[in-house]
Amino acid sequence: MTKLLNILLADDDKDDRFFFKMALDALTIPTELAMVVDGEKLMAYLTENAPQLPDVLFLDLNMPRKNGFECLSEIKLDKNLKLLPVIIFSTSFEQEVVNQLYFNGAKYFMRKPAEFSQLRKIIEYTVELISQENISEPSRENFVLTC
Amino acid sequence: MEKINKSNENELIIAHKELAFEKEEKGKRAEELGIANKELVFQNQEKEKRAEELIIANKELVFQNEEKEKRAEELIIANKELAFQNQEKEKRAEELSIANKELAFQNAEKEKRAEELDIANKELVFQNDEKEKRAAELDIANKELVFQNDEKEKRAAELSIANIELAFQNSEKEKRTSELINSNYARSLIESSMDPLVTINAEGKITDVNEASIKVTGIARQKLIGTNFSNYFTSPEKAQKGYLQAFEKGFVADYGLTIKHENGKLTDVLYNASVYKDDMGKVLGVFAAARDVTEQKWAKDLRIANKELAFQNNEKEKRAAELGVANKELAFQNDEKEKRAAELDIANKELVFQNDEKEKRAAELDIANKELAFQNEEKEKRAAELSIANKELLAFTYISSHDLQEPLRKIQTFVTIILENEFENLSENGKYNFQRMQLAAGRMQQLIDDLLAFSRISTTELNFEKTNLNSIIDEVKNELRDTIHEKHATIEAIELCSANIIAFQFRQLMYNLISNALKFSKPNVPSHIIVKSRIVKGNTLNIDKLSPEKNYCHITVKDNGIGFEPHFSERIFEVFQKLHGKEVYAGTGIGLAIVKKIVENHNGIIIATGELNKGSQFDIYIPA
Repeated sequence: MTKLLNILLADDDKDDRFFFKMALDALTIPTELAMVVDGEKLMAYLTENAPQLPDVLFLDLNMPRKNGFECLSEIKLDKNLKLLPVIIFSTSFEQEVVNQLYFNGAKYFMRKPAEFSQLRKIIEYTVELISQENISEPSRENFVLTC
Repeated sequence: MEKINKSNENELIIAHKELAFEKEEKGKRAEELGIANKELVFQNQEKEKRAEELIIANKELVFQNEEKEKRAEELIIANKELAFQNQEKEKRAEELSIANKELAFQNAEKEKRAEELDIANKELVFQNDEKEKRAAELDIANKELVFQNDEKEKRAAELSIANIELAFQNSEKEKRTSELINSNYARSLIESSMDPLVTINAEGKITDVNEASIKVTGIARQKLIGTNFSNYFTSPEKAQKGYLQAFEKGFVADYGLTIKHENGKLTDVLYNASVYKDDMGKVLGVFAAARDVTEQKWAKDLRIANKELAFQNNEKEKRAAELGVANKELAFQNDEKEKRAAELDIANKELVFQNDEKEKRAAELDIANKELAFQNEEKEKRAAELSIANKELLAFTYISSHDLQEPLRKIQTFVTIILENEFENLSENGKYNFQRMQLAAGRMQQLIDDLLAFSRISTTELNFEKTNLNSIIDEVKNELRDTIHEKHATIEAIELCSANIIAFQFRQLMYNLISNALKFSKPNVPSHIIVKSRIVKGNTLNIDKLSPEKNYCHITVKDNGIGFEPHFSERIFEVFQKLHGKEVYAGTGIGLAIVKKIVENHNGIIIATGELNKGSQFDIYIPA
């Protein structure tokens, strides 16, 4: 009996949230999805739910008011939040940006794929990783998730 | 009841009116609706027109966009050109600055020289004056000498006359003496002799004297007799020698002595003495006669002096002649010096004029220099602005490409969702159109990726490190192994050296060149790609853009593919330039632009050579 996985998605894009939910709904693993639409709301949500944090946070980088970078740093500096696994979920892939994210404590980096089937596959893979592996730091080579 | 009926009737009337009113109202409303309907139809038509206009405007925008991309390319080229011109102008300005300093130095030297000449000129003028004075003095001295000469000649003539007179008196006196001696007037004659006479015995004592002897010594006869003869001379030894000689030889002639008077007066005399004997021939004593030669001596002195004067006169005449010559020489020199001074004066004026000219020229150069410096500054500013504009342009390309990714990705995702979930519901035509849409989106994604790669090449930091080219080729071969296998391609890497390169950029360069070679291979001919390198000195290459003194790493990538027409050899490096339709050979036309940019990042050049159907070759030269 797999336990219900609590997932938090922070993404300002309505379509991307729609894709994410659609992909998640297609999975067999039971999940519960909460969504926030900018960085400030994310931090407020996390502070409020600090006693009962989600199992994983999917974090978009390019968001209004407070971007994913800032959020990641704040989370990793907050003793109540720093154990939350953060998966960066981004459209672009820049080597330096990826390096920086790894050093700032993100668990995985994944690039939003163009094909929906790929999106579904990568979300499935990630969710399985999170549910099985629990929290252990990935090596640099495994940091970037590809389909 | 009636009341009730009445009231019912009333109500009915009211209801009737009400209905009539409503009916009227509905009629009006229907009319209004009719009008509104027409209005809507009109608005609809307007909207369709507007939509058409929007389509046209859209096309216009697409066209403008294309134009702007072309303009951006032109700007990049213009930018490079300006940067190059700037460098050239900086070099020129440096050269001018050096030339200016050199001129300034020469000017200073010339000014010094002019000052020296001026001083030399003044010195010459002064010397000239001095020489004129000296010449005038010499002239006077000459005249003086001529006068003295005349005087001396007169004096010499007078002396000659005096001489003759003296010689005459002398001979008279000699005659007189011989007369006196020859006559036998004994004592009286002896006494009357003008010459002092004396007799001396063998012991040198005076035995007798005459009156002249008393006179010349100032001593009485009685006191003289019996005393030593030699007592009365300035040199007694010589006197003794004289009478001893007379005793010995029997005579002595013209023996010079000086008689000393008691009062100190001296008388020069010549003694002539001879012995006198008795009848038996026995020597009794010496008879000595002294001749006052004071006058004779003076005459001799005069003769000598005369000769001396004559000699001096001669000498002076010679000297005067010499002086005359010297004078002429001086006069000539003077003339020459005056000419020279005049020439120097002209030369001086010329120099002053040249100096002025040079000062003017220096001032002009100074102004020109300042102008150049100003222009230089302006150009540097302009170059800096261009550099900023360039960076901004690249940053803009980067950001715009980056942001284009997101909506494109969403379009692609939506397309895949529809194709996945609604595939059966679509008509064949709909399916085809969706697939075409997917392809177009894929191509756009490729374009954006390539544009990002292109702008990334220009904006990222450049870290050079010594890298073995073999390892780079191996990595590229590994990445392309599927295509290599598919094309039955062989890639030969011959004698690849190490080079100072930005490794990840060079990997992309080799990847682009080799994947191009694979892509543009001839159908049904196995692709054969040769990569080789060598170190070579610039001056052996005969390529303008390379420095003759530097060593270069020359890398060649050669294939046996379809090649290209030679006149495209420059154009293929431009962004978005393609020689083939995308249906035949896929690609965005950015690959070789990236290659060129990377070579430029390495301060190198790349040359493409090709012939249609005979393969192509890329030669890269980067500083070794």
